[in-house]
Amino acid sequence: MDFDFYLSTMWSVLKALPLTLEIWFFGVAIGLVLATGLTWLRASGYKLGEYFTRAYVFVFRGSPLLVQLYLIYFGLSQFDFIRHSPILWPILRDPMYCTIVAMALNTAAYSSEIFRGSLRAVPVGQIEAAKAFGMPAFTRFRLVTLPIALRLALPAYSTEIILMTKATALASVVTIMEMMGTAQKIQHDTFRPIEVLTCAGVIYLLLNLSIARLFAWVEYLLSPHLRPAPGQSQQIKPVPEVL
Amino acid sequence: MEFFGSLLEQLSTAYDLLAAGWGVQLLWGIGWTLAVTTVSMVIGAVLGSLVAAAKLSHRGGLRFLGESYTTVFRGEPELLVIYLFYYGGTQVLTGMARSAGSIGSTDILNMPSFLGGVLAVGIISGAYQAEVFRGSFLAIHRGELEAARAYGMSTFLRFRLVIMPQVLRLAVPGLGNVWQLTIKDSALISVTGVAELMLTANKAARSTHHSLLFYTVAGILYLVMTSVSTPIFDKAERYTSRSFTRPK
Amino acid sequence: MSASLATAANAKPSLDTTAAISVKDMRKCFGDHEVLKGISLEAHKGDVISILGSSGSGKSTLLRCINLLETPDSGEVRVDGELIRMKQSRDGHQTPADIHQVERIRADLAMVFQSFNLWSHMTVLENLVAAPVHVLKRPRAECLEQAEALLKRVGIWERRNYYPPHMSGGQQQRAAIARALAMNPKVMLFDEPTSALDPELVGEVLRVMRSLAEEGRTMLVVTHEMGFARDVSSKVMFLHKGEVDSLGEPKEMFARPPTQQFKQFITNFNK
Repeated sequence: MDFDFYLSTMWSVLKALPLTLEIWFFGVAIGLVLATGLTWLRASGYKLGEYFTRAYVFVFRGSPLLVQLYLIYFGLSQFDFIRHSPILWPILRDPMYCTIVAMALNTAAYSSEIFRGSLRAVPVGQIEAAKAFGMPAFTRFRLVTLPIALRLALPAYSTEIILMTKATALASVVTIMEMMGTAQKIQHDTFRPIEVLTCAGVIYLLLNLSIARLFAWVEYLLSPHLRPAPGQSQQIKPVPEVL
Repeated sequence: MEFFGSLLEQLSTAYDLLAAGWGVQLLWGIGWTLAVTTVSMVIGAVLGSLVAAAKLSHRGGLRFLGESYTTVFRGEPELLVIYLFYYGGTQVLTGMARSAGSIGSTDILNMPSFLGGVLAVGIISGAYQAEVFRGSFLAIHRGELEAARAYGMSTFLRFRLVIMPQVLRLAVPGLGNVWQLTIKDSALISVTGVAELMLTANKAARSTHHSLLFYTVAGILYLVMTSVSTPIFDKAERYTSRSFTRPK
Repeated sequence: MSASLATAANAKPSLDTTAAISVKDMRKCFGDHEVLKGISLEAHKGDVISILGSSGSGKSTLLRCINLLETPDSGEVRVDGELIRMKQSRDGHQTPADIHQVERIRADLAMVFQSFNLWSHMTVLENLVAAPVHVLKRPRAECLEQAEALLKRVGIWERRNYYPPHMSGGQQQRAAIARALAMNPKVMLFDEPTSALDPELVGEVLRVMRSLAEEGRTMLVVTHEMGFARDVSSKVMFLHKGEVDSLGEPKEMFARPPTQQFKQFITNFNK
């Protein structure tokens, strides 16, 4: 066992962690904004909005993220108006921005489906009670629908966030030296792929486990009403959801 | 007017390029993608059912192994797993061949790219399939298992007559999801040089400088593959759950 | 038959405008099925009207049409003399003309549901305070004080910081009644408040409802509790197939059932 090699590899890959986190954060944050817009469009009741969101979700969930990334990075530059646009071109010629855009567009499709599902899963009685007490639509949404839907969305959304951490590795195929790209380079230089990739794998795993922990903690904080009552014995564990 | 003119021009270029041989190449790409996905699904089914059994086992050690498998292979970037099997496989094969003396000390024995890719995607697919099988098993009505035990069925008989058919029925929708996931993951093994759809589109894009065209075509073909599989799995679900629906 | 009885209920024309709730000729269809076939009803201040009927008779729908949780197809509702304005929508159905008016009126008509419908993510105290603070715009401190007093009154003050899923059905329903009371409503609507409860928990809820009746609250109660209808309410209304079959003083109605349907209904119940 060559501990020095493991340590130095770990350290080199870790130095790229901030870049990975940057891609992850902006991808997820922009994706969240887009997903909120899509969910609203879908729920607004306009037929056109519904068709658009359906088509959007179909396209972005049905094809690999890699194709989407290549289309954005290599494909869009074929349009003259994009190459001559002072706003779009600086974004679309930069592989890092392109990765963020692709991730955001992709996660927006999945997240909006999660949000739509959780909005629909809010028990009708809870909303009816709010109506019967004279709450206007926005108050009803803020006090009752949204808090319940958020709690319902959290488990599936945390899975989606973890998928996005994994997706940041795709940045390496468009030459970004984030963790995966760095690991690739070391592996090529040293021809010791198993050791190098194991190091990177450990870091990715720890990263994802901490994100999962964080979400589990937020979920715990937000759902005191689903925990066992004070003085009661523990509830039956729900079957963790598949996928 | 100018827009339509250029659109027509684009379309005729597209036709020319596809007719010039890239169309056939892309069709071969689809074939390879489906082959990779199918073989990976089979590898995943074997691994997935073993891992699901381990996760449901009464023995702590087996449970831990099963949990670790699903956590690791659902938590790692797919690309990393693919690199690990392809380059790692090359590292191992080269090491073995060199020490056996069958190749020179500076030669390299490459991992066959199809094998490396299929193993990697299959193992990832197995992690997701394990969750599907486990969920299906847990969804079986406890009473049916107790009834089987009460009638004195052996473990094997219980498995064959009661557990197996039910798990399969309940697993079909989940397996449909994994199948689509695996199709999408298969695009990643283009990095190892398997001539599936993604790599073919890449080659076409690079050599003709029409990346927009070829990546769009590839995207559409993936959409077709993932959406065509939905009605097939729906049909499978109807077939496997025929005892639960009212006959027409 | 129903028409004559409905006019009998309107026998006090001088009080018409001051009726706490008046419903005129309300109709409602679900698809091809006509659930309410022109129902009229009047409740004056202090009235406790029990609405009886077998399942499918339209009694819950009637209640839900009054506070517009369901939109009636035709007919009018007045609360304290104020007409809820409706307009024709393009597809020929009517819809509320002014949703703000509906919201204001709903706040005056607190509803108690069969399945409690306490907001599960709020503690009991938060449940009681939410609508008074956000709908009636009353100061939070004052609402909290009132909420604690109400919880003491329904006997679950000790559970004020519990979440609804942590309480028994009877406790949840009492909390739901307290939540309704916190709105200082003009009329309380009870939609089968004891039907979802285990038999041994019905009593505690009925006791609270009885005490409300005794302090002179105006209540419309859809119920299957014959004892409550007979002993507590000031009027009993029996719905049959979407129409008012009979209406009258409870003692009178139960002693001498005015129609064959009502007679059959109470005999079936006493079996």
